[in-house]
Amino acid sequence: MSKLLQIALGVFTSIGGFLEVGAIATTAQAGAAFGFQLIWAVLLGTICVTFLVEMSGRLAAVSRHTIKDALRERFGPRIYVAILVSDLLINLMVLAAEIGGMSLALQLVTGISFRWWAIPVGVLTWVLLWKGSFALIENGVSLLGMVALVFVVAAYKLHPPMSQVVGGFIPTLPTERPYHYWFTAVSILGAAISPYLFYFYSSGAIEDEWDEGHVGVNRAVAAVGMGFGGVLAIAVLVVAAMVLHPAGIEPERFEQAALLLSEPLGRWGFYLFAATLFISCLGAAFELALATSYSFAQGFGWNWGESVRPRDASRFTLIYTAMIAVVSLLMMSGIDPLRITLFSMALTSLTLPLVTFPFLILMNDGDYVGEYGNGWISNAAVVVISLLASLLALVAIPLQLLGG
Amino acid sequence: MMDIGRQILDQQLVDRSGINIGKVDGVLLELRGDRPPRIAAVLTGGHLLARRLHPRVESWARRLTRRWGPRHHEPFRIPWSKVRKIGIDVRIDMGADEMVPWEHWVRDHIIGRIPGA
Repeated sequence: MSKLLQIALGVFTSIGGFLEVGAIATTAQAGAAFGFQLIWAVLLGTICVTFLVEMSGRLAAVSRHTIKDALRERFGPRIYVAILVSDLLINLMVLAAEIGGMSLALQLVTGISFRWWAIPVGVLTWVLLWKGSFALIENGVSLLGMVALVFVVAAYKLHPPMSQVVGGFIPTLPTERPYHYWFTAVSILGAAISPYLFYFYSSGAIEDEWDEGHVGVNRAVAAVGMGFGGVLAIAVLVVAAMVLHPAGIEPERFEQAALLLSEPLGRWGFYLFAATLFISCLGAAFELALATSYSFAQGFGWNWGESVRPRDASRFTLIYTAMIAVVSLLMMSGIDPLRITLFSMALTSLTLPLVTFPFLILMNDGDYVGEYGNGWISNAAVVVISLLASLLALVAIPLQLLGG
Repeated sequence: MMDIGRQILDQQLVDRSGINIGKVDGVLLELRGDRPPRIAAVLTGGHLLARRLHPRVESWARRLTRRWGPRHHEPFRIPWSKVRKIGIDVRIDMGADEMVPWEHWVRDHIIGRIPGA
């Protein structure tokens, strides 16, 4: 039974790390612009992130090392600092997007501009991290995050043409606007395969004190958790394809994305959209802030733990405190949240091999995983998908910037 | 038999009560004439990590910490005789106390001043 509760970690990781402002924005864009055509990108991202999450749980359970801890040990300080710096920059941008997402949810409901919400939202996130234990945050977000299922309900109520939905699972070349098509595909991949998500998960497994007995349950948690995230993301895309695509609306602002649920569900849909956006972004903000703190603490050997009192892990606490403060101020200055979201997702795709390749070396190193090393399928899936995402990003990002 | 690069260097150092001290940033070998060298101590903290990154990073770190942060700048030497267990972590039979000056500095100057810490 207690092992069943571990599913909470998977669901939390999924709601926070998978279905957040990035996934909602990118899949809504995809559905609005290209109908069901880009479902394959969500599927590919889900497969890759499921493998990566399973690996990071297995590494933690077998070696009792988090990914970052093991990376520092195995590759030494120079490579570690290089990984840490790129990680920090991307996490800052994505956290800005999440704080922006929560602020926009409040703007939708209150009509007061998101800029004024950035600081209160930052303070809320910080207070919950400062006061809350890991279990409280994990279970709270998983439970509240169930509100995201409203997208599945909406997708069902809209009666999408099943043959077209199924057709979307097969990659096809774009018939119009190829730059935008590939950029959107890259952003979807980046939104699904968020490195902070599996760094966070491996630390969560250590905080929940996993051991070799958890290898089996870890596989289930990864598959159920990420599968849950993938289904929700596809549901957002389907709803956007049904509601926005025929109307020719392409959300250039988040207010337009709020229409997604208003059509199938009326006024309630509007509030449920705001609630889903807020909760999933809050979950992601927790994960990003903690994942960055974990990265510093584990790489440099500091005391760490979300359930440890702040004064007993002062440097760990300082990192997330400073990060939330900087990002909240940044968002108050009025940067467009949608833009920073799409750009940071594409950048995540670009830097993916830098993250996944050293991780794969660990997962094939007997000193760490013993007999629980990777099989060829997981190695191949991660290599192929992360290389593909990175190469596509290398081409699509400059084209998108040039093409406006 | 022990592989210093794999089993000691860059491993987590943990004190006798389970507090993380830092990583093993260096290993000190004692050269003993025509007998084989042996490990005298492991090193952690100070500007050692900065030096391993690049000598220029070390000089930046020295300049930055001249007026700012804790007073202690030299790496700590943990005699090999105090090293108890090498497995997942390197455990030592000593207390972390003075060996985490930055942890204490941040606690006393920033985090400890926030209510509820």
